[in-house]
Amino acid sequence: MELNGGSVVAMVGKNCVAIASDLRLGNQALTIATNFEKTFPITDRIIIGLPGLATDVITLKERFRYRVNMYTIKEGREIEPETFAHLVSSTLYERRFGPFFVEPVIAGLTKPSEGSVPFIAGTDLIGCLTLPKDFVVSGTASDKLFGMAESLWEPDLGPEELFETISQTLMNAVDRDAFSGWGAVVHVITPDKVITRTLKGRMD
Amino acid sequence: MECSFALVGKGYVLVAADTTAARSIVKMKSDEDKTKVLSPHLVMTYSGEPGDTVQFAEYIERNIRLQHMRNNHELRPQSSAAWIRRTLADSLRSRHPYSVNLLLGGYDEATSTPHLYWIDYLGTIASVPYAAHGYGSYFALSTLDRYHNPAASLEEGLRTLRRCIDEVANRMAIGVGKFKVRVVDKDGAREVELPPSVSVA
Amino acid sequence: MADVYNKAGFDFSNHVRNSFLQSKGVPFPKATSTGTTIVGCLFKDGIVLGADTRATEGPIVADKNCEKIHYITDNIRCCGAGTAADTEFTTALISSNMELHALNSGRKPRVVTAMTMLKQYLFRHQGAIGAALVLGGVDSTGAHLFTVAPHGSTDKLPYVTMGSGSLAAMAVFESQWRKDLDRESAINLVSAAISAGIFNDLGSGSNVDVCVITAEGTTMLRNHVTPNERGAKEKRYKFRLGTTAWTKESVRKFVVDESVTQISVPAGGEAMDIS
Repeated sequence: MELNGGSVVAMVGKNCVAIASDLRLGNQALTIATNFEKTFPITDRIIIGLPGLATDVITLKERFRYRVNMYTIKEGREIEPETFAHLVSSTLYERRFGPFFVEPVIAGLTKPSEGSVPFIAGTDLIGCLTLPKDFVVSGTASDKLFGMAESLWEPDLGPEELFETISQTLMNAVDRDAFSGWGAVVHVITPDKVITRTLKGRMD
Repeated sequence: MECSFALVGKGYVLVAADTTAARSIVKMKSDEDKTKVLSPHLVMTYSGEPGDTVQFAEYIERNIRLQHMRNNHELRPQSSAAWIRRTLADSLRSRHPYSVNLLLGGYDEATSTPHLYWIDYLGTIASVPYAAHGYGSYFALSTLDRYHNPAASLEEGLRTLRRCIDEVANRMAIGVGKFKVRVVDKDGAREVELPPSVSVA
Repeated sequence: MADVYNKAGFDFSNHVRNSFLQSKGVPFPKATSTGTTIVGCLFKDGIVLGADTRATEGPIVADKNCEKIHYITDNIRCCGAGTAADTEFTTALISSNMELHALNSGRKPRVVTAMTMLKQYLFRHQGAIGAALVLGGVDSTGAHLFTVAPHGSTDKLPYVTMGSGSLAAMAVFESQWRKDLDRESAINLVSAAISAGIFNDLGSGSNVDVCVITAEGTTMLRNHVTPNERGAKEKRYKFRLGTTAWTKESVRKFVVDESVTQISVPAGGEAMDIS
């Protein structure tokens, strides 16, 4: 976790969800890149955040893409957020005794015919699912993110309000974390669009 | 003290690697080429565990070559980078992993854009505007933060590279010696000469 | 490499690399654990199981309201303590095998069957699967209550506790449990035992979940007692829109905008082009 650094947070809003990550890729204290996104689209309405060991972040991103494609072909339909969360969970638990060093965060909306219900989930490195109603945090700044999110989050925030809340939560948390930061990216998923914004953050 | 640098400019990528082969405190060789031209528009610098480096670089070189011959088409930089990363990541899960750090510079003919990838022995990959490996990175990255310009001409890019090498030569406790520099652009990969160093006060 | 069909069992392919990383001094992220209070006791008509709802990751509370009473079959439930992922997946696996067993034998599943499956599975893994369980249910042979430890040893007792809060909870049972309690007093006793864990053990917290199993059926009382409700926030911390400075924006629309341009046609239709 501390080798490459990085943090992710996801939040539930009113008919929308948001997921945000920082952009730093480090090698311990040395910053290698400031354009390393840790969030990856799975379907139009699902995004996964993968903070942790960077090599595993990429390996898992590829593996999930492969597994979701196989699911889509076999089932002939798009995967739902909850199903995907269980796919992530079992992929990680399969390696219970030789884990990937990542703590994934999943954010998505269910399909429109089921009401586009917000869904968020988090797992630990061996795939233990947590399904909170409010927010999930993960990464090197997770304890700071817990504090920020716990005080800033409130129910029924609209897409723009949620953008402000999640942005401030992430930015203020990573500013107190030496291993995260150097800019951030926020995705807000609503039933009819995904808004992606790159934030102006501290570069130290 | 192995070190390598690379940077992207307007329509090209420059890569440079030192040419010292050392064992313990003894310099065995001062004209070792630690760069490899993988295909007409792809170059790589490699450093790390002696033995692993050359073995791995040649393995990569020949597989990229094979790909080129089989398909009569050059593998694009993005795809090459993904494959090289995967090879390293898989190697890391074997009994004898390769301990090799790479800088991969390529020119994508399809989109006419230069690409640079920083890859380490863990299989970490990052697409970056400039990069460095080895102790030199602690000096050169701050120099590049200040002087790198993505729209720079080749002459300006070479001057920036010269600054990095001079900085390392000036500040590092152990000398690094000469550098081998290669450029990749639309005309392919070739070796280039560095401009003379500007004296630093 | 990634196969289309995954083999059963665990995958150890990362192990070599991870021990190498560990020798290099890369710190291991910790797994979520349920430093838990879980209990169960017999009463006149069956079994009452209880659990707190806190999940921890080191000193951090990872989940304030998780579910630790897992479904095995309609008439059997299992409380889990220890490594959260292990309790989750072990109970899911046994639940699945119990269903297959029931379908295969055409009989209502028994608690001892679940207990045997669990202990054999855990013993096979020599304690590496960190699941400490309280298993309870009612079958054709009556009401049964077991504990299963991570190494596969089991106990059969009229009242049991497990997890980091087990001592606090056991103190309550030891002083108050009697034979043939009625349903309400059994639920109250279990709630008191869990509460003792919630308030005296740092690894346990939040709410009390209770599950009552009798020959008539199973009732899950999720969040039966909620002694740690969060008070309403006195102020709101909403930010004025535009507080956060951003440099780039891209919007991906799912709804395709379509506009129809009416092309006017002269009356009587257009003349044919005969040039």
